[in-house]
Amino acid sequence: MDQPNVSRRTFLAATGLAALGGGLVSTRPAWAASAKVGAAAPAFSLTASTGKSVGLADYRGKIVVLEWTNHDCPYVRKHYETSNMQALQKEATGQAVIWLTVISSAPGTQGHVSAAEADELTKTRGAAPTAVLFDPTGVVGKMYGATNTPHMYVIDKAGALQYAGAIDDKPTSRKSDVPGAQNYVRAALQSVAAGEPVKTPVTRAYGCTVKYA
Amino acid sequence: MSAFLLALILVVPLLAAAAVPDEPRVRVDLVSEVRGVAPGQTFWIGLRQHIAPGWHTYWINPGDSGEPPRIEWTLPAGFTAGEFSWPPPERIRTGPAMSYGYSHEIVLPLPVTAPARLEPGSSVTLRGLASWLVCEKECIPEEAPVSLTLPVAVGTPAPDPEGASLIAAARRAVPSPSPWGASFETTDETVTLTVAAPGLARDRIAEVWFYPARWGAIEHAAPQEARVDARGITLAVARGQLPGALAEPIDGVLVMTERLDEGAARQAFALRALPRRAAAPGALPAALLLALAGGLILNLMPCVLPVLSVKALSLVRHGGESPAAMRRHGIAYTVGVLVSFAAVAGALIALRATGEQIGWGFQLQSPAFVTALAYLLFAMALSLSGVFAIGSRLGGIGGSLAARPGSAGSFFTGALAAVAATPCTAPFMGVAVGFALTQPWTTGLLIFEMLGLGLAAPYLALTLVPAWRRFLPRPGPWMARLERILAIPLYASVAWLVWVLSQQVGPAGVIAALAGLALIALAAWLYERSRSAAVARRRIGFAAVVALTLAAIVLSPVAGSLTAPAEGRRAGANDEVWSARRLAELRRQGRPVFVNVTAAWCITCLVNERVALSSGAVAEAFARKGVVVLKADWTRRDPAITAVLGSFGRSGVPLYVLYPPAASGRSATEPFVLPQILSEGAVIEALDKL
Repeated sequence: MDQPNVSRRTFLAATGLAALGGGLVSTRPAWAASAKVGAAAPAFSLTASTGKSVGLADYRGKIVVLEWTNHDCPYVRKHYETSNMQALQKEATGQAVIWLTVISSAPGTQGHVSAAEADELTKTRGAAPTAVLFDPTGVVGKMYGATNTPHMYVIDKAGALQYAGAIDDKPTSRKSDVPGAQNYVRAALQSVAAGEPVKTPVTRAYGCTVKYA
Repeated sequence: MSAFLLALILVVPLLAAAAVPDEPRVRVDLVSEVRGVAPGQTFWIGLRQHIAPGWHTYWINPGDSGEPPRIEWTLPAGFTAGEFSWPPPERIRTGPAMSYGYSHEIVLPLPVTAPARLEPGSSVTLRGLASWLVCEKECIPEEAPVSLTLPVAVGTPAPDPEGASLIAAARRAVPSPSPWGASFETTDETVTLTVAAPGLARDRIAEVWFYPARWGAIEHAAPQEARVDARGITLAVARGQLPGALAEPIDGVLVMTERLDEGAARQAFALRALPRRAAAPGALPAALLLALAGGLILNLMPCVLPVLSVKALSLVRHGGESPAAMRRHGIAYTVGVLVSFAAVAGALIALRATGEQIGWGFQLQSPAFVTALAYLLFAMALSLSGVFAIGSRLGGIGGSLAARPGSAGSFFTGALAAVAATPCTAPFMGVAVGFALTQPWTTGLLIFEMLGLGLAAPYLALTLVPAWRRFLPRPGPWMARLERILAIPLYASVAWLVWVLSQQVGPAGVIAALAGLALIALAAWLYERSRSAAVARRRIGFAAVVALTLAAIVLSPVAGSLTAPAEGRRAGANDEVWSARRLAELRRQGRPVFVNVTAAWCITCLVNERVALSSGAVAEAFARKGVVVLKADWTRRDPAITAVLGSFGRSGVPLYVLYPPAASGRSATEPFVLPQILSEGAVIEALDKL
């Protein structure tokens, strides 16, 4: 039988595998996202619009919702101008859920606001987050892999990430698509509160890109 | 202070809005390939987008963000509009995010079907509301009404020169179905996509990128490490957000930039990558059961039949022994089968691990091995015919197989059965073996051992259950006559192996092998003669035997080094020879194709061809449906065909795949795999479904 020279082939294969492995090692993912559904949500500490420092660890033992936003993005405006986001925030905070709105827009980009502007927006829009946090360097956004605005995350009482993705299943900027859409965040909150697994734990978030630095 | 800020907040967006010009970033219109509409006709129109410089719209999978364009139609009664066909996109990077889309100008073609009845002399207007997202740094959702008015034509409508050329160019750019199979493997961090495209020239390919059709499987922004080697293209990408094992196939577009003399050409193919590790939790027990069943059925396969005669004689011979001795023989036989399967499977797994593109039955692709097997079976047949005997005269078949009779003989019978059985793939076995080769080597080896157990099971059962001995006839002089008769199937197998050799190395190799067989016959006769002669002559006799056997062995590498002639790849009268290019061409034309992957040493394939594929009714069904038959000949270990087998999760022949005709508006259709044992009815039924 034509037996190939196994030892030479093994050497070549080992070299090839080493090269591929080296190639993979240098394949640094652009996100370096460490947030994975089912695992512990990465800890962070950001400055709120009140000037105080707010961290995820402050809310251990409570359900936390993270909402990445950019008030000028048409997809965010779809939910705010229909009062869909505000209603969801009020519903959640009324059940002792912590709602953190995060702005990862870099200075000079769309969505970047000062603390005072952010408070003004909250008041004029009738929003009800627990706090509005600023992430101008984008470190926390990239840590969570936040690609779009709005991008929603639900963290349970034990600190594990249970949902990451879109707010609902209609990936458009049309306001008329809000009433009939299935709201993933509401469903995730219900499941997490009842201690059940979330039915669709990961969905594709839609919206504008987060304006990272 | 707050009033000032309030004013600022109100004014800034207004200023921004004032700075934004009123006209949209994208101007859209509809183009048509024809100037009129004929009743019942399907024609192509296109949504043309003129995009402002620096801005972009999106592909069907927009990537990390974005939204593809769409049209909401208000069509006249009876008209239907299909979906967009998508030319391959560009990559658009925004910070750490990656999107897929188009810039400058793009035409998205789609088919429209007119109703069977149209008022002659009137005109129809196709109206729709096109909406899309256009982005630069910021994104603006835009929409615009689009319409197209066409008169009702009599006869064939005239083409619209501008529209026809735009739409033809767009449809040509739409990725064609890939002629190569693809599969992928996932780990926690990466997805490795393997496109089975052997024969690609590495230095011609400047860039490879895979655009997934859906979000989630791979990370859009991650770099794609592409490796082009003799087996094809391997892409390693970071995984996307979808958790768990990816059980669904990954669809997408593979774009390769090829260096040509005039410049670079971007070639795009629609690819469907099947998961390689399709192991569900219950997969291993199921695979083991399938392997056992496959081994049992393997006993009946045509290629095991010659050795079956050896087994039958062995059973008859041992029928008169004590139960304990019989059990020993049965166990020795089983051990022989298992050890041989372990050796062959181990070699297969080891060779695949070092990159060889081989499948089950690989050893029969080597002419030297085929020659050696032919020599061995010929020697066995000569022994059965009484030309010579090893060991005692009453050793019969057990003695002719090994230097010593008894358990060692049974062991070697088992080994021979295993070796001769390996080129065959029985039903159930294909799936189990294909699965085994995707698993770690321990699991793979276990599945192969179950196969061996299935093969050995009938004989083992007969030896372990003494009660069944009652069904075996008592030994007697009829045994010698039976030996003579059972030598005939062995001669037939030798003839078959020589025919396989002829397909592999041509007539010159056949003469070398036949000469070797003649030498073996001479050596056998000399051996028998020298056993009963005086000591000195015995020594000369044995030396002559050894010399002749060596000569026969030396001839076998000669047979192996001769290359196959071109005629070795003759196809049937109406069949075409398979090639990846021909398959892609036919599929691009939208014609149905039947791919028949076969090999000269695969008897099941030959039987299928005679029984099912050559019959008049099947030929008529092929002609009626306009099916082109492509025959892929795997006799000589063609890596392109091994890759095709692998892409369907198989590792041996036969494989029968039916590609349905392309429906309008779709760029890829699912092939249908027929069972390995074909019947006329099954083939005609599959063809009727087209």
